[in-house]
Amino acid sequence: MKIAISYPPIINERGQTAMVSQNRNVQFFVTPTYLLPVVHAQAATWLRDLGHDVLWDDGNAQVKSFDRWYADVLEWAPDMIVFESTTPVMKFYWNLTNRLKQDLPDCIAVMTGYHSMRKPEETMQESATDIVMRSNHIDFVLSKLVPYMTDHADWRSSCDLEGLHIRVNNGEVRNTGNFKQVEPLDRSPDVDRNLVGWKNYAYENGNFLQTPGTYATSVIRDCTFGKCTFCRYNGPDLTFSIRSVEKSLDEYQRLIEEEGVREIFDDSGVWYRGQEARQFAQGLIDRGLHKKGCYFGLNTRFAYLDEETIRIMGEANFRFILLGLEACDDETLQRLNKGYTVGDVARNLEWFTRYGMHPHLTVMVGYYWQTSEQLQGTVDTVRELMFKGLARTLQVTICTPIDYTPYHQECLDGDVLLTDDYDDFDMSEVIVKTPIPHEAYYKAVRSMYGVVFHPRFILRQLLFLLSFRKRDWQFLFSYGWRALRRVRNHIFNLTSAGSSKSPPKPGSVSPQPDPVGAAH
Amino acid sequence: MNHKVIGIRDLTASTYVLQLERNGVAFKAGQCISLGVKDHGLNREYSTYSGEHETDFEFLIKEVAGGTVSCALRCVRPGDEVTFSGPFGSFVLDAPQDLSRRYLFIGTGTGIAPFRSYVRSHPDIDWQILHGVRTLEERYDHQDYDPERYTACVSSETGGDYHGRVTTYLRENPVDPDTICYLCGNSAMLTEVFDILREQGVSGNGLFTEAFF
Ligand SMILES: Cc1cc2nc3c(=O)[nH]c(=O)nc-3n(C[C@H](O)[C@H](O)[C@H](O)COP(=O)(O)OP(=O)(O)OC[C@H]3O[C@@H](n4cnc5c(N)ncnc54)[C@H](O)[C@@H]3O)c2cc1C
Ligand code: SF4
Repeated sequence: MKIAISYPPIINERGQTAMVSQNRNVQFFVTPTYLLPVVHAQAATWLRDLGHDVLWDDGNAQVKSFDRWYADVLEWAPDMIVFESTTPVMKFYWNLTNRLKQDLPDCIAVMTGYHSMRKPEETMQESATDIVMRSNHIDFVLSKLVPYMTDHADWRSSCDLEGLHIRVNNGEVRNTGNFKQVEPLDRSPDVDRNLVGWKNYAYENGNFLQTPGTYATSVIRDCTFGKCTFCRYNGPDLTFSIRSVEKSLDEYQRLIEEEGVREIFDDSGVWYRGQEARQFAQGLIDRGLHKKGCYFGLNTRFAYLDEETIRIMGEANFRFILLGLEACDDETLQRLNKGYTVGDVARNLEWFTRYGMHPHLTVMVGYYWQTSEQLQGTVDTVRELMFKGLARTLQVTICTPIDYTPYHQECLDGDVLLTDDYDDFDMSEVIVKTPIPHEAYYKAVRSMYGVVFHPRFILRQLLFLLSFRKRDWQFLFSYGWRALRRVRNHIFNLTSAGSSKSPPKPGSVSPQPDPVGAAH
Repeated sequence: MNHKVIGIRDLTASTYVLQLERNGVAFKAGQCISLGVKDHGLNREYSTYSGEHETDFEFLIKEVAGGTVSCALRCVRPGDEVTFSGPFGSFVLDAPQDLSRRYLFIGTGTGIAPFRSYVRSHPDIDWQILHGVRTLEERYDHQDYDPERYTACVSSETGGDYHGRVTTYLRENPVDPDTICYLCGNSAMLTEVFDILREQGVSGNGLFTEAFF
């Protein structure tokens, strides 16, 4: 079978591109940022290993215009095309699928991703999609579904693999039941780097302090915690699964020794903790991989990694640590089910910085209950953490309900959403009713980003860099550059928020994501 | 939020029950709470072990060799406070008011914790527990369960209800496909049991899992 795993370029009328990939809240940015969708890359590898003709078709990373991308797809004429959905690009995908099904009627259109997973009926109704996959384990499902299709001409009516909505020939939709993924993650292959053109993703990514960088095959699928209300990794059908430490270490070794990778980021919702975290970091040291000039980075959460584990990670050359600091008041953290308190934050950051790591904070504002005191508390605490050198970089976003997460559902139930147009869910503006004017949240975002221009912060960064080895001076530039780029992007987004927004349409526009994950 | 420790009840050399004040916190049986030692800056999730209507909270905790939080919590004393966030999670009974359902709860080690919470909260439901442990002493609080409904699969010692692992037991004693199955414990057990139950015809709609690690 000819299978395209496709990420069409989605560019809005402001010339910004959106990138859709797991664990990302779509944002439109002018600056190119290419993130490897790891699970889909594993799916592509697995299908190729099964003998299928797989096209890794990321129009963003391959720097194509929409028209060029579309023409290439038509020319290649896949038997199956796989897309990844999330709320702000749903209308784009529905339009695109309809157009594609007219031009390639025999191509089976498969919609994956967290939005359609939660609302499969909607995508079946709004578009000519053939299959909605109610699973984030698309590698496991496709590896069974595709062979079934090739063996059974009547697959639409006979396939009983769970977790699918299938359009049957008479237009009816078959629901094959709830999906439950409980299979060892080790059964899914490591990403084939050549197949996905890893170098396309190796340079333009804010998570990399050095290049070429790459994303590891994630050690955890979903999230070990998985309780935060605004996060996609939350639901009764999601159970985290974990890759074996040795298998992951083997991949790191190959990436460093065979591909010459200088930075590896693991994009798992939350990386290993406890024993596995220590074994992994110690494994890097035992294999001598900590001395190869390669840095390691990951997403984690507060109150998860203990000091001894962090010490070993420092020795193993971990650097970029992405932590979600969703708010700095305990009421909000509790309402979001974050499972940590403000009191945990400074202590954890002290450990990371003590052992040479670079905490990057992902902060959010704009919850429908957020008062000016709560907002100011976040601004003050974040600025203080940056001034003290307890965090090195930050990203501030507007909390936008998406993908029918519990927070999204809460907003719907509480009637606080100001729009039901999915195009408005792109994080460029506050779309919920709030106790204070929306402008206050935008001002808070600017105030937090503004810290990077403050002499106190600049002095702190310089002192920090002076305490390091000489080559770490590069961070001064990468920090400064990244910080300025973010500030520029965000200020651009916020100042043009709400101005002449129109949905991206296939053939006219296309969406691009934020360089780092939304929050953890 | 902090909760006061009422006591620690040792069950084995490595496993204990931590008893905390309830402080009016409502929860659904099977949810978990993030607990930690005050001012340590760390926490871990623990499933509720006590019932929804009980005065205090109870948690069944195994002290993991080299572990951080599970070991630190064992050293707390009555009157100390521990950090407490939650309840969280959706590993709860779907429709406990529907008494026509038959439940099979399969847990290994401390994975029995949410099931004790289920049966203490909903004493009228029709349940069976299959508890996988290595030794007889790991049949934590087994006297609390109706022996007709509790089967201990003890892998390293004889004298339990079944000598062997839960997976072998399940292969020898197939499950009625209409049974609603809840699985809790380590991921390796979950995947193996999940496969066995699917082969025996249990639908994905009737299977619920909670991985501890
Ligand atoms: C939703 C959820 C509910 C949980 N409920 C319970 C519970 O009710 N009782 C309980 O004892 N634990 C429970 N756990 C596990 C608990 O959260 C911690 O992982 C465990 O106490 C170890 O923490 P630590 O800081 O001591 O060890 P760490 O230093 O974090 O080491 C963690 C390692 O210990 C091992 N481990 C973790 N839990 C266990 C266990 N129960 N038995 C044997 N080995 C283990 C694993 O290898 C794990 O990677 C639960 C986990 C989750 C995700
Ligand atoms: S926000 Fe982070 S910690 Fe919370 S569920 Fe999502 S990935 Fe896990």
